[in-house]
Amino acid sequence: MNTAQQTARVGLFFLLGLALTWVTWETLSDGKLFKQTGYSLVAGFDNLKELKQGDEVRMAGVKIGSVERTRLAGRRAEAVLRIEPGIKIASDATATIVMAGLIGTNYIGLDLGSPGAPVLLDGAELRTKITPDINAIMTELGNLGQKLEGALGSLTTTVSGDGKNPGLFQKLDRLVTDNSTKIDTTMTNLASATDKINKGEGTLGKLLNDSKLHDELVATVSEIKAAASDAKFFVADAQILVNQVKSGKGTLGALIFDETAGNDLKIVTRNLRDISEKIAKGEGTLGKLLTDDSLYLSAQSTLKKADRAIDSLGDSGPITAVGAAANVLF
Amino acid sequence: MKQLTHFLEGFGSAVQLLFQSARFAGTLPRQRARFIDQCYLIGYTTLPIVAILCFFMGSVLALQSGYSMENFGAKQFIGSLVGLSFARELGPVIVAILVAGRVGSAITAELASMKVYQEIDALVTMNIPPARILVLPRLAAVLVMMPVLAIIGNLIGWFGGAVVCKYVESIAIEPEAYFSALRRYMKFKDVGIGLMKAEIFGFVVVLICCSIGLNTRGGPREIGASVTKAVVVSLISILVLDYFVTKVLM
Repeated sequence: MNTAQQTARVGLFFLLGLALTWVTWETLSDGKLFKQTGYSLVAGFDNLKELKQGDEVRMAGVKIGSVERTRLAGRRAEAVLRIEPGIKIASDATATIVMAGLIGTNYIGLDLGSPGAPVLLDGAELRTKITPDINAIMTELGNLGQKLEGALGSLTTTVSGDGKNPGLFQKLDRLVTDNSTKIDTTMTNLASATDKINKGEGTLGKLLNDSKLHDELVATVSEIKAAASDAKFFVADAQILVNQVKSGKGTLGALIFDETAGNDLKIVTRNLRDISEKIAKGEGTLGKLLTDDSLYLSAQSTLKKADRAIDSLGDSGPITAVGAAANVLF
Repeated sequence: MKQLTHFLEGFGSAVQLLFQSARFAGTLPRQRARFIDQCYLIGYTTLPIVAILCFFMGSVLALQSGYSMENFGAKQFIGSLVGLSFARELGPVIVAILVAGRVGSAITAELASMKVYQEIDALVTMNIPPARILVLPRLAAVLVMMPVLAIIGNLIGWFGGAVVCKYVESIAIEPEAYFSALRRYMKFKDVGIGLMKAEIFGFVVVLICCSIGLNTRGGPREIGASVTKAVVVSLISILVLDYFVTKVLM
């Protein structure tokens, strides 16, 4: 190999190294190798947590860009987002820092926003929302643990006492010790009662051990069921009746729900009252019939005369009977 | 005590050689042919072995990390793990070890032969400092070639990891996801630190090998001993320096 070839190879090799170094630098400097595309948005937060340059920006779970850089802006931290071209983000879309894993992987999650909302332009600021991170959750859990510990301490004091006042167990112990004789007696009685029940003695024993009683009970229950079924039918019939009455069918229905019938009844009642008042006052034929006894006396006299006429008819024959009766009456 | 004396003697000799070479730095343009020749030997001819070794080191790293990280569901971070490991640590160290084994041993053998067969003495007699024509071009060449070898080694190692991630069923990560993770957690600073380490390691390896070669005494048997010594000292120096350089650059 001549010197020229060797020099050329070395030169090529060196240039290759330079080119690869440049490519690596551009690639690891977040894609500056090619012209940046898309547009940028700003999302301000109180705390960016573990968010860093190069983290993804996702809308409804789909990657739409990446975090271009993070910076402090006054009293808040800002993430500058590079959004892919063609992705339209509604102005009411909200950005949150989402934790993708327990080992510090975060990304910015965007919701879709309203369909009719105007679209954000290059450099616009996104709405943001704070979400609790793992530290906040752990702090809450710590507080919860403290409360639980306090509650358990109180429970322990209640159960075991606090040195001055006896606890629940001490009280129970004292109760049992003081009443041991009574408890023994009660237990003996209870043992005796259960023994009797086991042997089938007494009502409870028979109820538990005698199958006959069980059969009767079952039969009774069956009868009760049948009665309940009949009652159900009766209630159904009654319901139908009530429905009919409510709908104004039949006499009772018309009487209760038909206004005309009610009015007629009122008129009849009023008329009856008037009639009864007149009768009581002795007005009219019926009133006089009931209050004036002259009609009765005249009727009695007439009947006597008729009686005599009939007697005379027996003597003069049937032809003269009409004439005699007419004579008496008129 | 004797070993310590030998160590200090070797260390002092290397430092002395460095300063002697630096004194002749101005003569480098006139030694262009020697410089190109050394660049060819140190860089161009070392590339195939660097490529093969880095590819399989990247593959093994991805395989092992995939196997380990699968247990706690962090497979998606293999890209960043392989990328960072290779750029900051494995790439420079592997390239430096290969240079020590392939180039450093050759340098020591050549210079030790010249010393044993009194060619160095002849140069000195002719008032031609060995540091000027034998050491300076090599040091300059290694300074130029080490970053090139290291960056190529890094890229091939990353590529090896990506191949394993795609084609090994238990890992099954697409190259897009692999390189996305690699990019997300890496900065060019990491690569730059790796290149700087490679530069330091390569320079120290060539300096040690030149020093040991030029200090060989005795006959042909000592040439082999010097080569072995040069490689061993170079490897130890690489690993010891690696710790301190990492500590400083972290």
